[in-house]
Amino acid sequence: MSSFIRLFASVKAAIVLIIIITIASIVGTLIPQGRSPEEYLLRYGQLAPLFQRLQLTKLYSSFWYLALLFLFSLNLIICTLLRLKPKIKRVFRPHLDFKPSELMALKNSQKIIFSVPMEKVYGQLRSILHSYHYQIKEKKGESSLTLLGRKKMSGYFGADVVHLAILLILIGGLTSGLFSFRMDLALHKGEMATIPHSDFAVRLDAFTTEYYPNGQVKDWKSTLTVVEEEKEVLSKTVEVNHPLKYKKYLFYQSAYGWDWDKADLEIVIRSAEAQGQDKIISVKNGEKVTCDPNLEIHVHRFLPDFVLDENKRPFSRSNEPNNPAAFVEVTREGERIFSGWLFARFPDFGQMHPGKDSPLSLELRNFSASEYSVIHVSRDPGTGFIWAGCIFIMLGLALAFYWTPREIRFLLQSEAGRTALLVAGIASKNKEALEKEIEKIISSLRKKK
Amino acid sequence: MKESTLFPLTFLFYLLASFFYFSSLFTRKEKLNRTGSGLVIIGFFIHNLALIFRTIESGHAPFTNMYESLSFFAWSTVLAMLIAEKVFRFYRLSAYLMLLVIALMALASSPLMPKEATPLVPALQSYWLWLHVSVTLLGEAFFAVAFIASILYLVASAKENKGQSFSSLSSEKLDSLSYRAVAIGFPLFTLGGLVFGMVWANVAWGRYWAWDPKEVWSLITWFFYALYLHTRIVMGWKGKRSAWIAIIGFLAALFTYFGVNYLLSGLHSYA
Repeated sequence: MSSFIRLFASVKAAIVLIIIITIASIVGTLIPQGRSPEEYLLRYGQLAPLFQRLQLTKLYSSFWYLALLFLFSLNLIICTLLRLKPKIKRVFRPHLDFKPSELMALKNSQKIIFSVPMEKVYGQLRSILHSYHYQIKEKKGESSLTLLGRKKMSGYFGADVVHLAILLILIGGLTSGLFSFRMDLALHKGEMATIPHSDFAVRLDAFTTEYYPNGQVKDWKSTLTVVEEEKEVLSKTVEVNHPLKYKKYLFYQSAYGWDWDKADLEIVIRSAEAQGQDKIISVKNGEKVTCDPNLEIHVHRFLPDFVLDENKRPFSRSNEPNNPAAFVEVTREGERIFSGWLFARFPDFGQMHPGKDSPLSLELRNFSASEYSVIHVSRDPGTGFIWAGCIFIMLGLALAFYWTPREIRFLLQSEAGRTALLVAGIASKNKEALEKEIEKIISSLRKKK
Repeated sequence: MKESTLFPLTFLFYLLASFFYFSSLFTRKEKLNRTGSGLVIIGFFIHNLALIFRTIESGHAPFTNMYESLSFFAWSTVLAMLIAEKVFRFYRLSAYLMLLVIALMALASSPLMPKEATPLVPALQSYWLWLHVSVTLLGEAFFAVAFIASILYLVASAKENKGQSFSSLSSEKLDSLSYRAVAIGFPLFTLGGLVFGMVWANVAWGRYWAWDPKEVWSLITWFFYALYLHTRIVMGWKGKRSAWIAIIGFLAALFTYFGVNYLLSGLHSYA
């Protein structure tokens, strides 16, 4: 067990772990994460199954990546605790038995003789140190006195606070991973949805898209009403960057779309035999209508953004109505007299590519579908840890970099009515500033005698 | 006055300034440095005006596309350079930092960069845009200072080993300059990139961390500087090895800034 701890206790282990995690993270940015097996097969060919077996395609939630983060946390805890103990001792129970040789061995130490008794030097030194905001610890010997002046000691714990913050953030991430609840609600206007594991529901009262003068989307806004026990509790217009919060649940404007599957279409039928007698019929995607006693129109498919794939098969590139198209079949007394794609943007397409000897030409004049708003719902108990971690990490960094502890050690020795003062300063950073401060303290001590 | 005239004017002053800085390096006339310094300050002043005008013209923060963000990164780097110059009076650092600034300005001026201000997409309409981007880029500007100082350190220490002197600043001072730049850049980057980034992501996307390539790369950058600090403070690495980590760290920061946008796809596709 102790050798296990020793292995994890070293900063070297931390560095090796950070390097491995860094490399693994880089790999995760080079391989797109969480795509379909087909896409990986297309991208990586024979390597795809190997990548998937090594969990490189969902790397950040893979067993081995989480294991690395776990080892890193363990190392962080052990390293921090091991270094904390001597620090606590140093800060709260400092060593006060400096020997003259020890002090003189320190860098920039100096020795000054005062021709006044030790008690007087001691009193003045104390008051000067107080005026410089030093806290004083002291120990009296027979003919000597040790005095330790210290300030900004909390700076010693800066790195530990940062480490604690990182642990909080990792705990937050773990909590989010295990206990957060997320779902997307696709709501039509007026539709209400109960929120799982809760005692309330939300209703979409309005959904609007705002545009800039140049046609670019400015914002999507959904007016949501929280309904609890059949009472309307609150109402808020949610937009991107402005979610609604209710009882630990957050509701975000996440996406929008149309129900193209149930699109309402308006089709114009022209007959070569009876010119000028156009018929306009309304039909839903997937449905059949009979318009003449013997004419039946069947819409098989509707695609809002028609394109052909490599095998010349039609599919919809997006959910936006960029190139709306409907596949329509017309039969008369059971006999097919028209079948083909109609394009709303290209009404002439049918005339230019007439069906084989079809007596009819069709046009897709209008299309519409009900619009819905997608609301992302989340309840994430990990966020509390994350925000606490964020505050601590900044506090810790401020302490570690800009709250440098200063220690000045004094040894006063009484030598026949005179006093010998040995002084040395200790600071991990910005030593010049401490040297200057010591100079000032000594010079004001000299002036006082 | 318009931003489109102020920006080239800024560029001109920066070019003139670096001409003077480098003239001083080659002729060893200290006075030329002060001229360079003065020109940078004038350029920086005009740059400030350019950013203000851009904000007024576009109606939003001046860093929502690559052109704007390059201009702002250049501005931050000049600010960090002026601070470093005030503290260390080491003009060689300013000269080489100006090269980086000019590279950024040139990239922004290139015809490949669309310069027109476009209205903000819904996801960017937040005051977190100001905090997240400006503090992050300011942090990265100090990483740039550490990067140049580290390169100069490597050159200086190589020369010192041969018994030649390199500059007014000893390699030891350059090493500590690099550390002090990281000591400013690291907390700023942590605050702007990671903390503000997570807060904003939680408000805009509904999750504080989504393993988006830009997020991961900013974490990777953060790891490099964490390595820099740990190897230095705990393991006592200084000098060469430290300098190399600072150099690689800045390259990682640059990749986070540019590379991710052009080479990897993700949520941060706008800037």
